Amino acid sequence: MITLFINNLQVQAEEHWTLLETCQFYGLEIPTLCYNPGLSNYGGCRLCLVEIGKKPRTKLVSSCTYPIEEGLNVHTDTARVLRARRMMIELMLSTAPGSKVLQDLASLYGVKQQRFEVRNEECVLCGLCVRMCAEQMDGKAIGFQNRGHKRKISTPFDVKSKVCRECGGCLYVCPACQARCQGPQEKEPICNACLNMDPTCVEVHDEAQCWMYDAGRCGTCVRPPEDGEKPAEGKK
Amino acid sequence: MSIGKLKSIEELKQRIAAERDKKAAVQKATLTVSAGTCGQARGSLEVVDALEKVIGEKGLKDKISVIVTGCHGFCEAEPNIIIQPNNLFYQNVKPEDAEAIIEETMVGGNVIDRLLYREHDSGEVKQSGPEIGFYQKQKRLVLGENERIEPKSINDYFAVGGYSALAKALSDMSPEDTVNEIKNSGLRGRGGGGFPTGIKWQATRDARGDAKYVICNADEGDPGAYMDRSLMEGNPHRVLEGMIIGAYAIGAQEGYIYIRDEYPVALDHITKAIEDNTALGLLGDNILGSGFGFKVKISRGAGAFVCGEETALMASIEGGVGEPRQRPPFPSVRGLWKKPTNINNVETWGNIPLIINNGSQWFAGIGTENSKGTKIFSLVGKINNTGLVEVPMGITLREVIYDIGGGIPGGKKFKAVQTGGPSGGCLPEEKLDLPIDYQSLIQAGSIMGSGGMIVMDENTCMVDIAKYFLNFLRDESCGKCVSCREGTQRLWEIVNKITEGKGEMKDLDLLEELAEITKDASMCGLGQTAANPVLSTLKYFKEEYEEHILHKKCPALLCREIVSAPCQYICPIDQEASVYVALIAEGRYQEALDIIRKDNPLPSVCGRVCDHKCESVCRAGEIGEPISIRALKRFILDWSEKNKKAAAEQKKEPRKNKKVAIIGSGPAGLTAGYYLNLQGYDVTIFESHPVAGGMLAIGIPEHRLPRSILKSDIDYILKSGVSLKTNMALGRDFSLDDLFKDTFEAVFIAVGAHKSMKMEIPGEDAEGVFPGMEYLTQVNLGKKINLGQKVAIVGGGNAAIDAARVAMRNKDTTEVTILYRRTRKEMPAYEEEIEAALEEGIDIQFLVAPVRILTKNGKMTGVDCIRMKLGDMDSSGRRRPVPMEGSEYTIAVDALISAIGEKPDVSFADEKTGLKISRWQTIVADEETLVTNRKGVFTGGDAMTGPSSVVKAIGAGKNAAVSINLFLQDKPLAKQYELHRPSQFIPPIELTEEEVENALRPQMPRLSVEKRDKNFNEVDLGLDELMAVREARRCLRCELETEDGKAALGGKK
Repeated sequence: MITLFINNLQVQAEEHWTLLETCQFYGLEIPTLCYNPGLSNYGGCRLCLVEIGKKPRTKLVSSCTYPIEEGLNVHTDTARVLRARRMMIELMLSTAPGSKVLQDLASLYGVKQQRFEVRNEECVLCGLCVRMCAEQMDGKAIGFQNRGHKRKISTPFDVKSKVCRECGGCLYVCPACQARCQGPQEKEPICNACLNMDPTCVEVHDEAQCWMYDAGRCGTCVRPPEDGEKPAEGKK
Repeated sequence: MSIGKLKSIEELKQRIAAERDKKAAVQKATLTVSAGTCGQARGSLEVVDALEKVIGEKGLKDKISVIVTGCHGFCEAEPNIIIQPNNLFYQNVKPEDAEAIIEETMVGGNVIDRLLYREHDSGEVKQSGPEIGFYQKQKRLVLGENERIEPKSINDYFAVGGYSALAKALSDMSPEDTVNEIKNSGLRGRGGGGFPTGIKWQATRDARGDAKYVICNADEGDPGAYMDRSLMEGNPHRVLEGMIIGAYAIGAQEGYIYIRDEYPVALDHITKAIEDNTALGLLGDNILGSGFGFKVKISRGAGAFVCGEETALMASIEGGVGEPRQRPPFPSVRGLWKKPTNINNVETWGNIPLIINNGSQWFAGIGTENSKGTKIFSLVGKINNTGLVEVPMGITLREVIYDIGGGIPGGKKFKAVQTGGPSGGCLPEEKLDLPIDYQSLIQAGSIMGSGGMIVMDENTCMVDIAKYFLNFLRDESCGKCVSCREGTQRLWEIVNKITEGKGEMKDLDLLEELAEITKDASMCGLGQTAANPVLSTLKYFKEEYEEHILHKKCPALLCREIVSAPCQYICPIDQEASVYVALIAEGRYQEALDIIRKDNPLPSVCGRVCDHKCESVCRAGEIGEPISIRALKRFILDWSEKNKKAAAEQKKEPRKNKKVAIIGSGPAGLTAGYYLNLQGYDVTIFESHPVAGGMLAIGIPEHRLPRSILKSDIDYILKSGVSLKTNMALGRDFSLDDLFKDTFEAVFIAVGAHKSMKMEIPGEDAEGVFPGMEYLTQVNLGKKINLGQKVAIVGGGNAAIDAARVAMRNKDTTEVTILYRRTRKEMPAYEEEIEAALEEGIDIQFLVAPVRILTKNGKMTGVDCIRMKLGDMDSSGRRRPVPMEGSEYTIAVDALISAIGEKPDVSFADEKTGLKISRWQTIVADEETLVTNRKGVFTGGDAMTGPSSVVKAIGAGKNAAVSINLFLQDKPLAKQYELHRPSQFIPPIELTEEEVENALRPQMPRLSVEKRDKNFNEVDLGLDELMAVREARRCLRCELETEDGKAALGGKK
């Protein structure tokens, strides 16, 4: 067992765990996107960033790829971490505004502005599909092409791959094309619907009704009040 | 070379000694030619061939040998030859020089002067390499041997003591000792990170593993950096020796050299070195009987910048995609093929034999406390001595740039130096005294990097630089991390937007936030430093970003979308020069006239006396001579005069029944009047002199601007409906209050700067001493001034030249001398005016200043002068003249005209007018809106700025018209900045080959000097039609390069 400190709490963890696994084990919520427990760790989306080390020499690392170390100091929700996560969400959302996963993350982390020109590419190059194909489906039908801003996901030589069995595993794990967000319009690239709803579901139902509880946890609701149900006492 | 393995360390030592003796025994004269990739590109191999041919022909083969080595570091002087035993350094040698070198120098023993190096600043001739400033402050420990060995010859390397460090390590030191030696030396990684090499070695040595690797990182990818290539090409055995010692210390059995495939010469040399070593038994199993075995393989990189990052590099060697992975685990624990691996840069490996041979104490004695040894930099960019320099750590940037680099070419000013390649930062002038070491560069916001050093001069746009490096990085990011891939892309987008003049101030905040987060959140070194170009330029050059955003200006005139056509961009009145030039090229003169008239109410004047900033920024002038824009404008106006063609009437707004008064009928006043009248105001111009035109009429002499020409422009304005009252001076004949009482609702004061400044020397009030402006005014108003035979003029501006040329036209005057305290280079007068003055027989004495006027009975008889020399720079960027003691002398003159500068005459501004006056006697007003501290009163032109050009005054007049119009409509006053675009895009014309070759700026036809004698006939005669059209066709049409230009032309086709 390895002993380390997360948010000033002394915790113990198995030797082979990553920081993310340790945090999750102790119930600390860390957002992820390119992470999937069934696939190898990638570290590309930079959402699971945590701050490690002792001040003033601390740095941000992706917790999903960082192996735990004896006595390591970890902070999961510092201002520096949150600022970086928000920027990552804003950046990814600017290329795939239709992704419900991303829109929900935006609401959860309070990303309310989109300062970059929106490119509807509907892909954030998280590589889940590539790893799904190679590691779970034993396919290697798709992969990354080019580098930098020209990077994209495609089949070798852009032709239909013979090893593709059309299993749909890639679509299944994709955060951008699986569930579409209906919220954002052309002028408003961020949905934030559940943040802006008024009155909120708690005010209407006296109980949080959120079907996207995990993502939103905002206490708003999409279900209209049923007959006889009265708005709860409170503001408004 | 003798084939056969060296079987013991003793044998190796004997071999080294034997080769050394063999070399020393050879008594031949040598010609050492530098032939690295860069030398070869400049033709060094052809020089070698030519030399060998001549030597062969003359049968000198056993007396002279030619040695072809790697790079000597002095790119500027390539190809260069070091000649022994004469110890000469010949530079920029061409194959044609071979004959002379052999004949004159080698046989005759004479030095060929033209092939010697000359220092840039002093012009001093230097005979041998070590005397040259470029080499003097260097400490060439690693690179120095480049000029002594043929890279492909292992025997040459033996002869300079090569592999003696290996012998020492294997015979006298245990692996643990070797690691400790490196640790104690304080050597830090030269690839950029600066991690202590010994600690890295120790970690790899201590790591558990059955197999271990060492890797040489030769994936040098920074733009403008070629240190590693040069070492690999010039001295491959040095690197290899370091690697073998490292492998021995660490316990590695195999090594890789990861080298860019774009380095064919280096690749060739290192391959040969490995072959030779294997043949000799310096690589392989059981090296020299020590029981230690080591093999080296070469892995060729495909050119991805990110593969210089160690984890990406290892992924690439393994055959995977070159993408970094998270560390830890560090390569020393889990590296190549998941085994402990030690990666060092080429230069780091090159330092190892030095440390083993000379000891860690010796090495630790060089450099600063935390950075030991030397560092190689590739000094490139706007620098006189481009080249590879190896300097001890702790040397200042200033020493590298000025003492070694020889400063900035063309006398330009230093602006910034970029260290550390694309992920480094740009440091400004105030950081030049920074000692170069790892910490200090990081603290200043840059990095050491692998040693790129790009010098930039004042003509560099820092926003453009940031854009350039971001463009490189967005291409070269591997694309794995969102922060780096999207971060660099979005940073580039924002900076690009700013360079297109579409930026907003809030973009700067976003830029800074995103840059910081990109740095913070990325996985590998590339992303973590990718924002440095933005952050450092934002830190040190924020005002340039703001200039692009707020004023839509690019001070360096580089950002294409902002500048469009530089001639139009720089013009204070937005004249569409490139458009009328294009129209002239097609013979569409009427349209050209309309275009000129649209923005300029005084075009005939400008066609003759404008200071034509447009020509000084003309892009054609960068590679040849600028287009004669002013002469072309004059051509059109002359054409319209001759053919009685008028420009299209400009739209006149309905009368507003509001009165505006303008004080002064100079270019500013006339222009403001013209445009205000077009906007529907009733304008009255008050002029204190009997004639209109201000400085145009009473300052500029007739031989430059004939009165009839001036009159035609003024008449055009008056005919449009502006009324003029002459002999009416503000303060003398009326006051500001009178004007407001007389229902004028706004006043524009444009009284110019007509008062000559005093020289402040004794005897200045004597008879025969004239203030320059007063003198010119009197002459221009037709008064006779008696000067006498000999006249001296003091000053170097246009007024001084004007006064001199006018004095020369005075009947009795035979001798005119201008006294100027600086040199011709600093003279503010127009070049063509100075030339004309010289043509007319006027003598100009430079570096001279008057100290007192000699008088007799109140009349001047001569002037005492003192010689000056140039000292330090002053605030205007010119070198300050300093008097040389004891150099006084007297010249006898009958009259002296002082034209050392003018200031406005603001005697009207008493307490009652309430106007604020500056200590330079100018009227204080807002620079953008021209609003003074008194409501309804505006000012502009020379009265506000002090003496300046005609076209700037016209610009001020246009500005005033805009401001006054807004003021009278009760609208907020704020200058609107817009991108400069022409009103139409004329398709380009095609030039024939012949035309391109013969495209030269025409000589302005001038009145012969005899015909100018004692009269005021116009000197410049104007271009004829053939000359004008031919000249106009030469224009490069810069505005067509903008996106708008391309779109407009694309639409027409």
